[in-house]
Amino acid sequence: MPDALLQKLRTTVGAANVLTGVELSPYVVEGRTPEAAVFPGSIEEVAAVMVLASEVGSPVAPWGGGTAASVGMPAGRAGLVVVLSRLGRLLDHEPGDLTATVEAGMTVEAFQAALGRRGQWLSLDPPDADRATVGGVLATNACGPRRHLYGTARDLLIGVTVVTADGSVVKGGGKVVKNVAGYDLPKLFIGSYGTLGVIVEATVKLRPLPEQEELVRVRFDRLKDAGAAVRAVAASDLIPNAVELLDGAAAVGAGLAAGSPPGGVLVVGFDGVREQVDWQRAELARLTGPLGGRDVRPLEAAAWSRLTPAARTAFPTPAATMALAVLPSQVAETMEQGAGIARGRGLSSAWAAHAGVGVVRGALASDPAPKDPAALAAVLAEWRELARAGGGHANLEWAPLAVKSQIAVWDDPGAAGRIMERIKAQLDPRNILNPGRFVAGI
Amino acid sequence: MSTLTDSRKRELRRELESIVGPGAVLSDPDELMVYESDGLTLFRALADFVVFPTSAQHVSAVVKLANRENLPFVARGAGTGLSGGCLPTEGGIVVSMMRMNRVLEVDYDNQIAVVEPGLVNLHLSWKVGPRGYYYAPDPSSQQACTIGGNIANNSGGPHTLKYGVTTNHVLGLEVVMPDGEIVWLGGKTREACGYDLAGVFVGSEGTFGIATRIVVRILRKPQAVKTVLAVFDAIDQASAAVSAIIARGLVPAAMEMIDQLTIQAVEDAFSCGYPRDADAALLIELDGLAVGMDVQAERIVEACRESGAREVRTARSEAERQLLWKGRKSAFGAYGRVSPAYMVMDGVIPRTKLPYVLRRVNEIVAASGLRVGNVFHAGDGNLHPNILYDPRKPGEEARVVAAGAEIMKVCADVGGSISGEHGIGLEKADFMPLIFSVADLALMQRLKSAFNPRGLCNPGKVFPTKKSCVEVGPVAYRPHAIEEKGLAQRF
Repeated sequence: MPDALLQKLRTTVGAANVLTGVELSPYVVEGRTPEAAVFPGSIEEVAAVMVLASEVGSPVAPWGGGTAASVGMPAGRAGLVVVLSRLGRLLDHEPGDLTATVEAGMTVEAFQAALGRRGQWLSLDPPDADRATVGGVLATNACGPRRHLYGTARDLLIGVTVVTADGSVVKGGGKVVKNVAGYDLPKLFIGSYGTLGVIVEATVKLRPLPEQEELVRVRFDRLKDAGAAVRAVAASDLIPNAVELLDGAAAVGAGLAAGSPPGGVLVVGFDGVREQVDWQRAELARLTGPLGGRDVRPLEAAAWSRLTPAARTAFPTPAATMALAVLPSQVAETMEQGAGIARGRGLSSAWAAHAGVGVVRGALASDPAPKDPAALAAVLAEWRELARAGGGHANLEWAPLAVKSQIAVWDDPGAAGRIMERIKAQLDPRNILNPGRFVAGI
Repeated sequence: MSTLTDSRKRELRRELESIVGPGAVLSDPDELMVYESDGLTLFRALADFVVFPTSAQHVSAVVKLANRENLPFVARGAGTGLSGGCLPTEGGIVVSMMRMNRVLEVDYDNQIAVVEPGLVNLHLSWKVGPRGYYYAPDPSSQQACTIGGNIANNSGGPHTLKYGVTTNHVLGLEVVMPDGEIVWLGGKTREACGYDLAGVFVGSEGTFGIATRIVVRILRKPQAVKTVLAVFDAIDQASAAVSAIIARGLVPAAMEMIDQLTIQAVEDAFSCGYPRDADAALLIELDGLAVGMDVQAERIVEACRESGAREVRTARSEAERQLLWKGRKSAFGAYGRVSPAYMVMDGVIPRTKLPYVLRRVNEIVAASGLRVGNVFHAGDGNLHPNILYDPRKPGEEARVVAAGAEIMKVCADVGGSISGEHGIGLEKADFMPLIFSVADLALMQRLKSAFNPRGLCNPGKVFPTKKSCVEVGPVAYRPHAIEEKGLAQRF
């Protein structure tokens, strides 16, 4: 990096807020070290940094908690990491409006704690909430089991402030829960992996904290039967806030089943007033019993956060994990077939799904011996085909670079990819925001 | 209308007929007049052609022809829109989606339906109702408006308080892009592959392309429903009750406010059981599990009483519930009994600002020498002031428009929005700077360029512009053709 640029960055955000050299180790991704990490202290400073980066065409990687930093392809050339941690305040919370405005660098956990003190919450439960930031969660569209009832960021984000590649500060949406004025920019930035702008502020819809909440586990001898139970729950009067399906390996790994691994475990969440939770637990037992469900019991609250990463945590160090989007009715079959594909190549796998919404995660074991990247990529390619055969798609959530160089991280968006490229070209014509990280080479 | 010569127009008509069929093209000015307005009859613009495609291939071919001829084009559903969003402001082709009105597929296991854009909103709920499902977004024009039109405007309705608006129920769309290419945005699964283009498309007011197939979620009908009417002697008390209910951690399915003028009009017309002397009433609906419903209803009643309600009652039968809802849903029709015309406003404010903003709305309209009726989605702060006026009296319509502009400014000033569900269209394009900066609008323009680089797809909408040749008041109000047939009301 030219010294002149470094000097300008130090002048802009203060010398203490620019890291270089060995201080950059937390920001190394896939063995690649950025040229500098910058910690702007205001939206204006983020904008000034973007102007500087834009002038010299330096790549910029927006950085929240770094929990998803290795998702996607690493930048082809080193550049700046723009860390949002100094933008970490709750700006506004009006309980009567059920809305809050928060700076992007606040962690989800800190945000929820502040909201919780006034009886409300953001109904989004991404993994790593202690480190993941609001901005990062939006940029990566992270979520958790409760998406079954409460949806994802796209259902909750009502306003967003973004600094674009040229340093413009741009707002989309607003602060009210219903709003059709202008294009829906919040949707554009959710899940865009920092390729279109740096999210600096968000306004979200909130919900009252439920009076009671309970996670209930049902064991099955066969995964297939657990899959049938998912369909039975969907067709019933139950209003669960989570419907999770795990195979034996994932269930044991997540501490949801002791002893010999069951064929499948169904985990269902309920919330509401006491009577509603009690009635639904009983109704769940009544529905699943005839399908082979047994051992219906509540889980401790700590189990919630172990559900989303359950496939990955089944192995000490997985060789790769993939997220498959399929129809809810295909979930159990996808898990069984995916495990079969891995077994056919001598590999173990573990599977867990937000079953009610058709989001399935498969993890490949690296044990017994590290496999060659081509073999891993071959399994992953077959998994992707499995998702595509049912009209879905699949993305690599985590894999070593050697594997990522053999199979595309992101599935092919088809003809829509060209529109995505045009959007990228319009918003970031110099291609400095996370270049090459995302879908279609964006 | 554009400047096509008569002979060129005849040639193009023949070519359009070769695409969509001989009975599917209009070009006679008398026939075109039916399509010169939407539900907001203040604006009018005449197309050169109206075409009625029956497939995505038809739409694509028409759009390609429009591109070749440099003719603007705009999709149109039932024409119930309230912002002039589907008007052919620069002439060209109106692409009516009304013959693409089929339910193509219902997948109950996965709770999705694939529909064509011309399908009437309510018809989807009719189709899936016998199996215990429904389509949640319920704009008040749902008997007439189409799902394609709902997509364009990201329509809401009373029950969006709990269930969200159109965008929360759309998973994917097949779209004819402004260059004629047919592309799928999103699909049947719940995760976008790449940018959430389906989410970006919904609410783009027909400026990003024409949807030809839509994948929507259908929901299980709730096990139980409870409807509560709370009657207040002061509208401020009703506003306070809205906040009190939210503060108790309750999220009703709907929470609608009806003011005195509206109550009286409704009672004159339909006798739905609202007390005529009340200053305001709240219609609150809970739905969900049967168990626990009474506990929650009790809390609603308590919150209303503590806010000063003089009477709170729960509908004891489905008939009584339907009657209460009839009062709410027929309010707009009832205004016809007390005024020769009215214009409906659409603005959104933070819930907690309701008392202040309602006072300001009443002051603004009174200062214009006019009357206003308020009937709106109080739960999500979506106001619908209806300004009553007589279009035959010179200057009244201009005063309505001026008062409307002031009301929009009040909404913007309290941190709200200039549209909750009707869209910007033509009507509010010049109000956009009230809530968006030059940079905000510039980014939206760049997004539009990515979809619609030549600008032929529904030009003149959403963005502030002075360059449309649309006929804007002072023209006399008149009911739209579909209103006269009793198919639609204004909301």
